[in-house]
Amino acid sequence: MPVDFYKPMRLNEMNSSLQQEIKEACDTDVELCLECGKCTGGCSNAHIFDYTPRKIVQLVKMGAEETLMNMDALWTCVSCQLCVDRCPSQINIPRIMDYMREKAYHQGVKARRSNVQLFHELMLDSIKKTGKVAETPLLIKYNLSTKQYMKDADLGRRMFFKGKLNPFSPRVKDINQVRRLFTRTPVHKEG
Amino acid sequence: MDIGYYPGCSLHAMAHEYDISTRLVCERLGIHLHEITDWNCCGATAAHSLDHHLSIGLSGRNLAQVDDMKLNQVTTPCAGCFSRLKTAALELKKTSMQDEMEHMTGISLAGAKQVQVSHLLQLMIEQIGLEQIQKMVVKPLQGMKLAAYYGCLITRPKAIAQFDDPEQPVSLDYLLQALGAETVNWSHKAECCGGGFAASATDIVVDLGGQVLEAARQRGAHAIVVACPMCQANLDTRQRAIEADRGIAYDLPIIYFTQLLGLGLGFSAKQMGLNRLLTSPAKLLSGQLG
Repeated sequence: MPVDFYKPMRLNEMNSSLQQEIKEACDTDVELCLECGKCTGGCSNAHIFDYTPRKIVQLVKMGAEETLMNMDALWTCVSCQLCVDRCPSQINIPRIMDYMREKAYHQGVKARRSNVQLFHELMLDSIKKTGKVAETPLLIKYNLSTKQYMKDADLGRRMFFKGKLNPFSPRVKDINQVRRLFTRTPVHKEG
Repeated sequence: MDIGYYPGCSLHAMAHEYDISTRLVCERLGIHLHEITDWNCCGATAAHSLDHHLSIGLSGRNLAQVDDMKLNQVTTPCAGCFSRLKTAALELKKTSMQDEMEHMTGISLAGAKQVQVSHLLQLMIEQIGLEQIQKMVVKPLQGMKLAAYYGCLITRPKAIAQFDDPEQPVSLDYLLQALGAETVNWSHKAECCGGGFAASATDIVVDLGGQVLEAARQRGAHAIVVACPMCQANLDTRQRAIEADRGIAYDLPIIYFTQLLGLGLGFSAKQMGLNRLLTSPAKLLSGQLG
């Protein structure tokens, strides 16, 4: 068995402040975890996660903030909502994922999947500028930013002939109303 | 019935055929859609992934406009937009969140939180009804064997969606049956297609989307029917990559439910924009698969 097949979690730093913080911010109580594992059993991506949903709940109880903010799973969770609906205690794991990701992002923790973060940023940047997302310009910007100049070139061609590529960026008229919402997250990526 | 309409960004771009078919079908069913005057993007995965308040604010502004239009209901054909709009409506019911959001947006959200949000499929099932739809079918979809695919957000999380069963949904199956089609009983009707990762983590979409295509193939489905532009895009645009990954030719058209509903109601394939799908449904439509 490879050494990192199972990553043991050590209860060397019991800290309930994160648990309390999550309880208030996410309106969900990890204390109610029965450790049944149904969350991990249902998880769409548990097979590629470094920490599975059940372990993530335990990490919250342990106050292992650093581990949570640095884990790969933060960026590969598809938000499919299977875990929360299967949990007998309705622990809202997708909301915990969002909360920890937001916290990591605001603290400038380097995302383990930088392309996922970049895509989110480019999308928010588009919303901040125009109020909407124009798919074609967004995808082009993303491919240029990640230097994947030929990524999906063939797909792009097929989509073009189906009339699925629209180069225009629609705009919200009262854009200042939208921009006011960006006070917490000043998107810093210039597309 | 007069109802607010939130198309969302995809329906004005890649999923144009979903918008066209939705409008025509709704008109035929007596649903009068009023597009939200100056709607903005719901923020989709990006906003809720990085900034919860931004996500609530973006949808809050859309809901406020529905209220300004003197409508008490809004519907959207996109599962992602549906989830974001409904999450916002529920979150705004908390006084502290409403206050905070009003401060941020500078607009009153008292009416916004009262707006009833439904996914288009839900609206048709709950407010038009299968019986009524069945009565209006003029061209039954005979010989079609379809996999009804719900994905994640139409029924989950159940506390937000409040529609159908979170993992064993049936509404779309019943709708397709009412149109005269046969639906397959399959394992992946509510599994994830990979969501918003089509560009940024394509490997995940090829993996999860591949499982969905394979499950539909194993049950002998001729096509997969969807009610979300993200599901459609993932399963259709990544189908060749999935075929290369798995070494299997799926050739499964990924069709919007409104397009098939339209066919049943007598619209032509062209009117329903069926020629805009990447994986061609021509064989299915000509009855060669019967």
